[in-house]
Amino acid sequence: MGCKKKISICIEIQNLVKNFKDVKAVNGISLNIKEGELFGLLGPNGAGKTTLIRMLTTTLTPSSGDAKINKFSIKTQKNEIVKLIGVCPQDNIFYNELTAEENVIFVAQMHGIPLQESKERTNAMLQKLGIAGKKRWAKKFSGGMKKRLNLVMSLIHEPKILFLDEPTAGLDPQARRIVWDFIRELKGKGNTILLLTHDMLEADALSDHIAIIDNGEIIANGTPAELKDEHGGENVLEISFYKEADVAIMKNQLKEISFVQNWKEFGERTLLIPFRGGMKNYLKILQKMSEKIIDVENMKFRQNSLEDVFLNLTGRRLRD
Amino acid sequence: MKVLELKSVVIALKNIKEKFRSWQAIFFGMGFPIMFTIIFYLMFHDVDPETGIDVYSYSIPGMITYAVCLGTTSAAIVFTRDKSTGILERLDTMPTGRKNIFLGTLISESIFLTFQIIVMFILSYAILGQYFVGYFELLIGFLVSLLFGILSVGIGIIIASFSKNEEAASGIALTFVMPVIFASGAMVPFESQIVYFMPPYWAKQIFLQFTVLGDGLTSNLYSSSMIGYTATETSIPIWGGILILIAMTFLFIFIGIKLFQKKTKL
Repeated sequence: MGCKKKISICIEIQNLVKNFKDVKAVNGISLNIKEGELFGLLGPNGAGKTTLIRMLTTTLTPSSGDAKINKFSIKTQKNEIVKLIGVCPQDNIFYNELTAEENVIFVAQMHGIPLQESKERTNAMLQKLGIAGKKRWAKKFSGGMKKRLNLVMSLIHEPKILFLDEPTAGLDPQARRIVWDFIRELKGKGNTILLLTHDMLEADALSDHIAIIDNGEIIANGTPAELKDEHGGENVLEISFYKEADVAIMKNQLKEISFVQNWKEFGERTLLIPFRGGMKNYLKILQKMSEKIIDVENMKFRQNSLEDVFLNLTGRRLRD
Repeated sequence: MKVLELKSVVIALKNIKEKFRSWQAIFFGMGFPIMFTIIFYLMFHDVDPETGIDVYSYSIPGMITYAVCLGTTSAAIVFTRDKSTGILERLDTMPTGRKNIFLGTLISESIFLTFQIIVMFILSYAILGQYFVGYFELLIGFLVSLLFGILSVGIGIIIASFSKNEEAASGIALTFVMPVIFASGAMVPFESQIVYFMPPYWAKQIFLQFTVLGDGLTSNLYSSSMIGYTATETSIPIWGGILILIAMTFLFIFIGIKLFQKKTKL
């Protein structure tokens, strides 16, 4: 039931537009998402992420354009698409007066899974996400438990294509880690995942490929490393030496490194070295330094981030 | 496929589970009619010297009609909640199908209505000992009430189509139910032609004529006419009244579903 093997494109979005009266919520988006890929869609609140996901999951009709989910059109083949997908909405949506188990079994049965199998799958999955055996009604759960229940409800039928809309919003770091591990596990099983988030760390940590969306348009598209290299500006390495003499030695060493164009001196024993190229080049600088210098007092490395990418592309911060 | 795994049945069972876990729903659906039944019983508990029948027996059909009319509020709240909380949209991303959602809710509301009617029957006939012609006539009364309850659900769906949230749905439904019940003459006599346009009138009148006023099933079905607001017979036979009630039920359910689908169009 997954994406067809011959074609590696699983989700094909073709010039998709959604207008709400005069507002263009999604403005001509085209994207291809490959089978088995974890594709992050990163953008600030109101960028059009949720509108896009609602169209892809067939709950909102596009104003124009089309998208194919496993070759099925979102406009005309809704019934085929809903059998393939799992959707974890941004808000926790479930029946408040049912327990976690009852909610998940209900969803499983809506997907046509027999009752006995629904129960078995539900127990296993609730166990995995740490909310098994909770007999109280879902409305009495903590925020983290509600979020995890929301996620389990979208996965119980083992969909091959998964849409996750801010799956860790509002979670504490520990709960967020559990969900991240779970998402990685799903990816490991070959699921195609479209992850919508405004959390750059989440997008960076989980995604194979990222598209940045702003004002309903895709403004950048690539792997996290590509985006950071291309749009993220420079990384900065700050080194403080014990001896002034080491500063001079280091400057000589830097002259031999092609990707380091300049540096700044702070005080008498600190060098600030901007460079492009990510971790690979960072290690090259360290290697060059270690050829002549055996000890340093302090070292700080600030790697460019997706936040920088967004800032450079839009002139705004992601959370503005 | 096993019956219990049919999607509409799964939805119905889920709805019932939720309803019976909400004391507000139980109190609203059961408490109000029981309270009115007892109050009216205490107020009008006199024996008619001509017939020897407790006067309150004539009010029972209206009281039960009022009880099932609350199905309007219940359905309006259920559908509005599903719409406003995003549950409906979530169900739309699954291979559920709107027809299963409507059918499941109709089944669950009918089961709750059955429960309501049975409780009212027990209270009125078994506990308070009110008069009725016979058990078969009582069964007809039960079926007519259930049919009217389904009609009420249809009106509830129409209200849900226009309501933004549960509070609004509940308010609109109550604002609708009480005047309609009084304008239909179901609870207290209302001498106006308006009653003919009010669905509760038909339910209450058929129920009353079968279970209290009638001379048996055959006589009622073939030779009795509906009694109008002036307490005189109309030209409409009882079976005609039943057909009108059935037609109204289909009409309101149809309009409700069409409107709800239109208002929640994707």
